[in-house]
Amino acid sequence: MSSVKDRLAKLKTNISKKPHILVNTDICNSTCPHKCTTYVCPALCYTQAEGQIHFQYEDCIECGTCMHACDQGAVSWNFPESGHGVTFGLG
Amino acid sequence: MEEEKFDCIIVGGGVAGCAAAYVLAQNNCKILLIEKGEWTGSKNVSGGVLWGPTAWEIFPNLAKQSEDPPYERYVDRRRLSFCSDDSSFSIDYKSEKFAECPYNGIAVLRSKFDKWLGEQVEEAIAQSDYAEESFVATSIVVDEVLQKNGKVTGIRSGEDEFFADCVILAEGVNNLLTRQVGLMEETYNAELVGTGIKEVWKFDRDLLEAKFQLDGLSGLSNEFVGCTQGVEGGGFLYTNRDSVSIGLVLGLASLRSSGKAVYDLLDSFKKHPSIAPILKGGEMAEYSAHVVPVGDIRLVPKKLYKDGVMVVGDAAGLLMNTGKSIEGMNMAMESGRQAALTVLEAKGKEDFTARTLENYQAKLSETFVMQDMYNFQGAVKFIHNPDMFGTYPDFVNDLMYKVFNVDGMPKRKTRDIVKETIEESGISYWELFKTSIAGGMHL
Repeated sequence: MSSVKDRLAKLKTNISKKPHILVNTDICNSTCPHKCTTYVCPALCYTQAEGQIHFQYEDCIECGTCMHACDQGAVSWNFPESGHGVTFGLG
Repeated sequence: MEEEKFDCIIVGGGVAGCAAAYVLAQNNCKILLIEKGEWTGSKNVSGGVLWGPTAWEIFPNLAKQSEDPPYERYVDRRRLSFCSDDSSFSIDYKSEKFAECPYNGIAVLRSKFDKWLGEQVEEAIAQSDYAEESFVATSIVVDEVLQKNGKVTGIRSGEDEFFADCVILAEGVNNLLTRQVGLMEETYNAELVGTGIKEVWKFDRDLLEAKFQLDGLSGLSNEFVGCTQGVEGGGFLYTNRDSVSIGLVLGLASLRSSGKAVYDLLDSFKKHPSIAPILKGGEMAEYSAHVVPVGDIRLVPKKLYKDGVMVVGDAAGLLMNTGKSIEGMNMAMESGRQAALTVLEAKGKEDFTARTLENYQAKLSETFVMQDMYNFQGAVKFIHNPDMFGTYPDFVNDLMYKVFNVDGMPKRKTRDIVKETIEESGISYWELFKTSIAGGMHL
């Protein structure tokens, strides 16, 4: 089965220079008991290396999962600025 | 355009926003439909089957597109499958009664379907008195709902401001604006939503039709229970014109506490012996995901309106899983229509305050949308019982194995097999009794 990265690569995205989601990873790395974004995000935008959470917005498909899932107040979510982000051909 | 005032600004070009905009344009209103994507539908994702008559009532042109309709296929075959790790037991129903237009259900791919809806809105605008002053504006993100003395007066995108007598928020489940104006509390609750994750697999059309025994535009809607490794939720498989939509919807709080990765759950579903052969010969064409309301009334705002604004569709948490079908898009369209009709009423009265807009909620309460939302809350609880995602599907499959297995030993009566399977399952008779009563009551 193809990797999530390969699957994402088929999508058309116009990546904005400005991140549309801001994550306070200090919260993720200190008090968060579950670090759920690392497994609930379908686009693998949240990864964990050596115990530290890393967030990248470039692969985001604007599903909203992290915003609804984070109960620690670490995710400040918005849509990419006008004219940017993902475009689904089928949807 | 800047200084002009619209009768109504509709934020969001999904099924709810397009339905509202279409009804308004048809009734000679000056409107602005704003969509953040490149076209209406370009950022929209759903399972998805659009059920019931609402779409056909609002968009009668839908029935005139027999050659190359904007939907994928009509659903004349329903299947509900209960899965264990190595087996599945299905209820399968097919009827010619569902093969008559207007269809009971249509499979849609939103990027295509909502694009067509947007074109319908543009046509209605072109035929209205405001052909030059109404707009469908794409690639615009609304940053803020403008308010003056607690009354909504318009919207802001970047440095551009647009004003209207009334704003309809059809922004979807990621409803930043609905929360900004105070119609919903600001904190998000994972218990009230799910995450949908989906792949569209392309096939040669003849192969697809042979695989699913489809004829012309007929199609299958198949839901799955027990395929989520105990996580609350289920699977779906819908046939499109030359592709299949396959995916899972997972309760977000349950997914969060499971510690399981959402894409691993999808992969394991795709490897199930009842699914893997289906995907053979196809090619993964698109991967997508979206949050979805799960039908819990607690997500629906107590008030769907305030001075100068109404909220519709997923933004208002309107979605229902009655255990018979998962209905969201039809609810979205109906709420869009009712909000639009309320705008017409307000325009007639020249009163866009809550006093008139409360009629939107009153009208919606009379329709199937709020009736089903209220009457099926028991079904939501019933369906979300953790045993539904493992214990019961396993039980049914164990039972069917014993019923169908021919082992060269003297046959046992079915009632003895049932008794033995119940005892082995660890489910008490009382538990089974309670579940069947609850199922009978709520579904």
